[in-house]
Amino acid sequence: MKGTLQQQQARLGVRLISPAVIIIGLLIIYPVFYNLYLSFHSVKLSGESRFVGLSNYAAVIGDAEFWRAFLSTALYVFFTTVGTTLFGLIVALAMNKEFPGQGLVRSLLLLPYIAPVISVVFAWQFFFDPVNGIFMHLMVDKWGLYAERFNLIRSPQYALWVAIIFSIWKNFPFTYLMILSRLQAIDQNLYEAAEIDGCTGIKKFFYITLPEIYFVLGSIVLMRIIWNMNKFEDIYLLTDNVKTLPIYTYFKAFTGALDMGQGSAISIIQFAILISFIILYVKKVLKW
Amino acid sequence: MKRTLSVLLILALSLPLIFANGGKEPEPAVKAGPVEFEFWTTETQSDRLATIQVLVDTYTAINPDVSINVIPVDENDLAGQIQAAAAAGNLPPLIEAPSETAVSFGTEGIMDTAANGALINEIGKDKFYAGTLKLLQSSTGEYYALPYHGWVQGIWYRADWFKEAGLEPPNTWDNILKAAKYFYKPDQNQYGILVGTTAEAYTEQCFTQFALSNGAGLYDKDGNLIFNSPAMKETVNYYAELAKYNPPGPQTWRARDYYIQGKMAMFFYSTYIMDDLALQDAAAGSLTGDNFADLAGSTFDPELVNNTKMASQITKKNPAGYGTIVSMALLKQDDAAVTDAAKSFLRYLYTQNAYITFLHMAPGGMNPTLKEISTNPRFQNDPNGIFKHYGADKMAEIIQGMDSIETFSIVDGKRIEKASKVYAQQIIPQMLYKITQEGMDTDSAMAWAEKEMQKVQ
Repeated sequence: MKGTLQQQQARLGVRLISPAVIIIGLLIIYPVFYNLYLSFHSVKLSGESRFVGLSNYAAVIGDAEFWRAFLSTALYVFFTTVGTTLFGLIVALAMNKEFPGQGLVRSLLLLPYIAPVISVVFAWQFFFDPVNGIFMHLMVDKWGLYAERFNLIRSPQYALWVAIIFSIWKNFPFTYLMILSRLQAIDQNLYEAAEIDGCTGIKKFFYITLPEIYFVLGSIVLMRIIWNMNKFEDIYLLTDNVKTLPIYTYFKAFTGALDMGQGSAISIIQFAILISFIILYVKKVLKW
Repeated sequence: MKRTLSVLLILALSLPLIFANGGKEPEPAVKAGPVEFEFWTTETQSDRLATIQVLVDTYTAINPDVSINVIPVDENDLAGQIQAAAAAGNLPPLIEAPSETAVSFGTEGIMDTAANGALINEIGKDKFYAGTLKLLQSSTGEYYALPYHGWVQGIWYRADWFKEAGLEPPNTWDNILKAAKYFYKPDQNQYGILVGTTAEAYTEQCFTQFALSNGAGLYDKDGNLIFNSPAMKETVNYYAELAKYNPPGPQTWRARDYYIQGKMAMFFYSTYIMDDLALQDAAAGSLTGDNFADLAGSTFDPELVNNTKMASQITKKNPAGYGTIVSMALLKQDDAAVTDAAKSFLRYLYTQNAYITFLHMAPGGMNPTLKEISTNPRFQNDPNGIFKHYGADKMAEIIQGMDSIETFSIVDGKRIEKASKVYAQQIIPQMLYKITQEGMDTDSAMAWAEKEMQKVQ
């Protein structure tokens, strides 16, 4: 039973990693495969399930609502990623300069990110309420910029954009923090050498700063895309009229029709899209 | 090492197969000794939860072997939570649910109809208001749940404004539309009416009353879908027209705050509003608050209750009222001891003291389904004085209205279970949202809704 030293080491190795494998198996692999299983079945509340082949997938792909949700997700992910990255970068560049009260400003900028979602959401809802909100009060009654009050936060034509702006505002501090920490690690000699060669500020940014922070930016963008593609609570709590894929999945599986099968099919499709994107992105942009 | 890893992986991957075998359930076994179960209530407000906890504590003090965990679940999340619990195989044995929701769960086969029926017989079928029992009956006569309390809906309106403007009370289609137009003054931040326009239950509740008053239904008595009818189209068009005089954007019951702030002439609401109108403490949550002194509507108007009247019936072709019975339902369990304990607790909730304590959480909003309680002097003497405020006649009228609630799911006395599913799937509110908020035309939206209803089995 003892075996060679190598076999003993192998057994020890198995014992050491088995807790992790069991935990990952139960918490990650099991739900993923159960989800896959559900997506091929029609599930009743009583627990009965019937194999239906690909019909859940066919129903999802043939549903115009799904494609609307897909478009909303694409817009949401694109604009929030571009917004948080650009805004975070600009703020990081500004905060990298020395000025009085720098420490305080740097910390205050983190507030939207660290505040609990629910409290910020309530503040936004109160702020933009069409009848009692401060925003409409100022815009219509005080400054007369609009003739009539309108519902900025819940009307379908504005809601997606409000959700995008909310996400940029809430998440830019993370990007800013990541970029700032990388900026501070850039060797100042590079800038000095560039100045001696007669480089201007813009050239310094494009030839030194940007290449130096390229991989940080690349990783942040990737993480933001993954996070925002799966984002649920920010959008769901803020406005009930923006149906991105995760919210559409929730509505499909857990409200009204209670269609767990189709809900699972949507999440599998979303998972497949995300995984393919990540593979492509990691190869092309992060060059791993 | 590879083999051990494979074994572990196979074990992890085969779990779904073990758990997914939902068809086979273990044999029920009666457990002796302590029993613990969950009671899901839709009363999510903290003061109501505190009252329910007192009832639970009292019951468990008498029955030390039983422990009950009270779980608050928002009415709009109930279907989702039940779905999740069913998938996980841990459905609670006792839930509080609106009757239509209870029926739609019942058609999914998760209700313990035998236990519910037995308890109704034990309490005495003739002791309940017959109309309330009917709402919870299946097409084969079984009971999906027990009626526990109920409310009536109506249009609450500023009688003083109506009088000043020389307008008739909002009890017919014409009167309602005329008044909504008259009082709609968005430039003064004042709105004509509140009808639901979001994709949720409130919208369906407002709409149903109009549809029933126009003789428009979803199914005929044989269960054939008759939704796409001229009468229904007329109702949808009328509703969309009315929604133009709403506060801006999609609106739900929360916008009743605007009425309490004096910014709206009419709103659809249940009798739950009675204490918010009459009591300063109850109204506080609906006012804009002292932090923004510039905003109108921050002070309680003690005259509002006297200036408010309720039109409980709407007439077009025929008068129609609407309301909801909230039920208590026993759900199927593997463990018979849990069912027995839940049943015993529910029996306790129907005893006079417990029942009146429960109903007094929201006088006016929660009305009894047992005849003897409605005439009980203790019930009529609520701690907040709501009954005194509105008078015994008004309260009797409300309870009477509750006994004759109409819904889409009972046609000529026959239960159409598919209609409850249509309600649970929120097809009508989604359709109204598409029309009023997304600008879809009535025909396309109704065609969409009809297609969705055809999918309902």
